[in-house]
Amino acid sequence: MDSRARVVVTGIGVVTSVGIGVDEFWRAILAGHTGISPVESFDTSRYAVHLGGEVKGFHPEAYVRRLSLASMARASQLAIAAARLALDDASLSANAMDPAMVGVSFGTTSGEPAMIERFNDMELAGTRDRVGPEFIAQYPCHVIAAHVASELGLSGPNLVIPTACAAGNYALAHALDSIRNDEADAMLAGGSDAFSRITYTGFARLGAIAPVECQPFDKNRRGMVPGEGAAVLLLERLDRAVARGARIYAELAGYGLTCDANHMTAPQGDGATRAMTIAMADAGIRPGEVSYISAHGTGTAVNDRIETAAVKQAFGAAASRVPISSIKSMLGHTMGAASAIEAAACALAVHDDAIPPTMHYETPDPECDLDYVPNESRHVPIDVAMNNAYAFGGNNASVLFRKCRA
Amino acid sequence: VSGAGRRVVITGMGAICALGDRPEAIHQALCDGRRGFSAPTIFPDSVAPGVQVAEVRDFAPQTYLDGGNIRPLDRTGKLAAVGVQLALSDSGWTADLRRERPLGLILGTMFCSVRTIGEFDRRAQSAGIEYASPMDFSNTVLNAAAGQVAIWHRLRGVNTTISAGAVSGVHALGYAAQLIRTGRADALVAGGVEELCYESFWGFHQAGFLAAAGSGVPVCPGNSVPFDAGRTGTLLGEAAAFLALEAESTAKARGARIIGCVEGFGTAYDPDALIGGRGGPNAMALAIRRALANAGVAASAIGVVSASASGLRAQDAREAAGIAAAIGRATPVTAIKSMVGETLGASGGLQSIAALESMRSGLVPGIAGLARVDPEVLLTVTSEARPLGATRALVTSMAPEGNCCALALGLE
Repeated sequence: MDSRARVVVTGIGVVTSVGIGVDEFWRAILAGHTGISPVESFDTSRYAVHLGGEVKGFHPEAYVRRLSLASMARASQLAIAAARLALDDASLSANAMDPAMVGVSFGTTSGEPAMIERFNDMELAGTRDRVGPEFIAQYPCHVIAAHVASELGLSGPNLVIPTACAAGNYALAHALDSIRNDEADAMLAGGSDAFSRITYTGFARLGAIAPVECQPFDKNRRGMVPGEGAAVLLLERLDRAVARGARIYAELAGYGLTCDANHMTAPQGDGATRAMTIAMADAGIRPGEVSYISAHGTGTAVNDRIETAAVKQAFGAAASRVPISSIKSMLGHTMGAASAIEAAACALAVHDDAIPPTMHYETPDPECDLDYVPNESRHVPIDVAMNNAYAFGGNNASVLFRKCRA
Repeated sequence: VSGAGRRVVITGMGAICALGDRPEAIHQALCDGRRGFSAPTIFPDSVAPGVQVAEVRDFAPQTYLDGGNIRPLDRTGKLAAVGVQLALSDSGWTADLRRERPLGLILGTMFCSVRTIGEFDRRAQSAGIEYASPMDFSNTVLNAAAGQVAIWHRLRGVNTTISAGAVSGVHALGYAAQLIRTGRADALVAGGVEELCYESFWGFHQAGFLAAAGSGVPVCPGNSVPFDAGRTGTLLGEAAAFLALEAESTAKARGARIIGCVEGFGTAYDPDALIGGRGGPNAMALAIRRALANAGVAASAIGVVSASASGLRAQDAREAAGIAAAIGRATPVTAIKSMVGETLGASGGLQSIAALESMRSGLVPGIAGLARVDPEVLLTVTSEARPLGATRALVTSMAPEGNCCALALGLE
C-alpha cells in the first residue's frame, strides 16, 4: 500500500449529447456546441418545458458485445460504451491487464429509472403479473458497474456510488484510493445516467428547468436542463502507465468530500468551500496554482450564487484570477454522469491547455462576478484543474487534476 | 501490503431489525433460533398470499429520535436514522463532539427507497405531474437516506452511499475502514439500510428469488434455510445496522470503549455471474483471500465465518465453495438469514454485529431450521448455537450479480 502513489488518467470515453468519443466531444464543447433538443423519450405535452439533453444517434449494439442488449437498460448501455471508448482511447484491451486487478467504480443519480417506470406502468394498468425477472435483474443501480465488468471480464472492486449529481466525482475518489490501496492496478471510473421522466418531473415540480437555454452564472439564468450521458476515465498507477508507454492526460492529484448536513436540496456553501480546501490540501496545491475550475454551474439561481461565494471563500484573493466555466451550458445537467463528463473535460483541459466556455452568457450578475470564460473557449497553459460537483443530500465533491511531469 | 496504515477500531454498534433493536438482544434471539417472520403488514398480504417477511413491526422512530420533524424522512430514512442514532449513542460520539469534529457516514443500500421512487412516479402518471410532491422528489435520489441522516445527526464529513446489491453493507464497512486506515477520515459511521416495500418484494417474487415462489404452496420459513438441502429461495427482511469506526488513536484519545477492530477487507467480482457461467474462478474465494492478505492474517486464524447465504440454491453453494476453498472446511460457519431474512444493504452490518456479539459472548448462533445439510456444502454448519473461543471472525457477502466481499473482524 502506498497512500501517496501517483495515479494518472490514460484513457477517456464519453457519450454525450454533443458527441460520442473523446475527439467529437472535446471539439464540440471547445466550439460551444449545444446538445439541447426537444425531448423524444417520453411525451412532454403535460409539462411547461419540453427540452432536454438526450443523447441522440447512440447505437449501443456497437459496444455491447458479450452481454445481450436486451439484458440491460440504457444507463448500463451508455456506461459500457463509455468504458469501451476509454479502453480504446488508452490503446489498451481489457485483457492486456490482469482482469482480476481491474475494477469498476461508477456514479449515478437514478440508476436505471426506465425499469421502475415500466414497473409502474404495469401496476397502474392493473397488470402487475406482467412484471418479470427483468425488474430485479435490471433496475437496482449497482447493475451499471456489474454490466460494465461483466461485459469486459473484470473482477476487481465493483460498485456504484449513487451520490446523486456529484456521483461521478465520488467514483473517481473511490477509484483513486482503490489503486493506492493495491486493491486494483487500474480502475474504470465514471458516471452514467439515462434520461428519465421521474427526474424531469421532479425538477419541473421544483420549477428548476430552464425553458430554452441553460445560462450558468448569467443574471437572467432560469434554471437547469436535464440531460443524460456517460463518461469513463481509465486510471492507472503512474509507474505502470510509464512502463507501457501510455499517453497520459493528467494526474488525478487529490480530492475532498464533505456534506452540508443542513438541507436536502438547498446548498449552503460552507460544505463546498471545505471540499475545495480539503482537495487542495490533499494534493498539496495552493489556490494560486489552480488554473481552471470546472464549475458545478447548473444554471439555477441558487446554485450559481452559492457556488461563486464558496469559490471566493476557498480561494481568497486568487478567486478573481481563476477561470471558471460550466459545460452544463452545452450538455445540460447529466446528473450522476455530469461530474464524470466534467472530469473528462478537466483532464483534456490539462492535457491540451484549453478551457471550454460557459455558453449563453449574456448579462453579468453582480452576485456572480468571477471569470466564467463566456461564450468562447480559451487557450492558456493549464497546470491544475479543479472539478467541482454538488448534489441533493448536501454532498460536495472537489477533484483535482494536475499536468503530469514524470 | 498487509497491516499498513492506521488500526481501525469499532467503538459502537447500532441495529434495528425484526429480532430487536439492541445488539445483545438480537444476538440472543439468533442463538435461540428465533425467526422474525410473519405475514406482511407494510403491504397487503394478498399480494402474495402465504409469503412471509421479516418486518420491523410497530416501528416507532420517534421513540429513538428526539425532537425535530421526522416527516421529511421516508421509511428507509427513518430506519437509517435510528440505526445511526443507536451506533452513535453506543460509541459516545455525542452531538457536542460532532460539532467539534466532522463525522462522516458511509451508507450501503441496494434500493434506497424504491417505494418513494415508485409512488412519486405513479402519482405523477395517474393524477398528473402537478400532484408529484417536491418533498418526495428529494427522497427519490439514491443517496437520500445518507443525506437525511446527515441532516438529522449533523454529520458533516464524507457522506457516501455505496450500492453493490446485497453486498452493499460489507462494501460500505470495508470502504470506511480503508478511509480511516489511510488517514482520510478519523471516524465514520458505516453500515447499511434496507426497507421492506411492495416494489422490491414484488420484483423478487416475480424473479423467482423468494422461497417456493410460484408453487402455489403456502410458504413456510423452513424452505428458505441457508445451506439446507431443501432450500428453495430466500425470504425478505428489513433492517438498519451500523458500526462506529475510528482510528485507534482517536478512540483512545477520547477514552472510548473499544469493542473490536476491522482488520481487513477484500472484494472481487465474478464477471460470469450475469451470464449464468459458473466455470470461472470463485470470486468469493478471491475476496476472502484479499481480505486475509489485507488483514495480514492466515486463514487458520479465523475462528468463525458469518456467511451471507440466504436460501438461494446456486448462490449458497457457490459461497460455500468459496469459503471452503479459502478458509477450509473445519471452521464453524453460521448464517443469520433464516432468522432476520435477507435484509440486502443492511445484511453486512447485521452479520458484523452478530459476529462481534458472538465473540464477545462466546456463543455463536446456529442456522435456525437447518435440517439436512446440502451435500454440496462442505462446511461445518449446525442448527444449534455453540460455544466459541475465537477472537477473529470473517463476514462474507455475496450477491447474485457477482459481487463478493469479505471483512475480517477482531475482538479487542
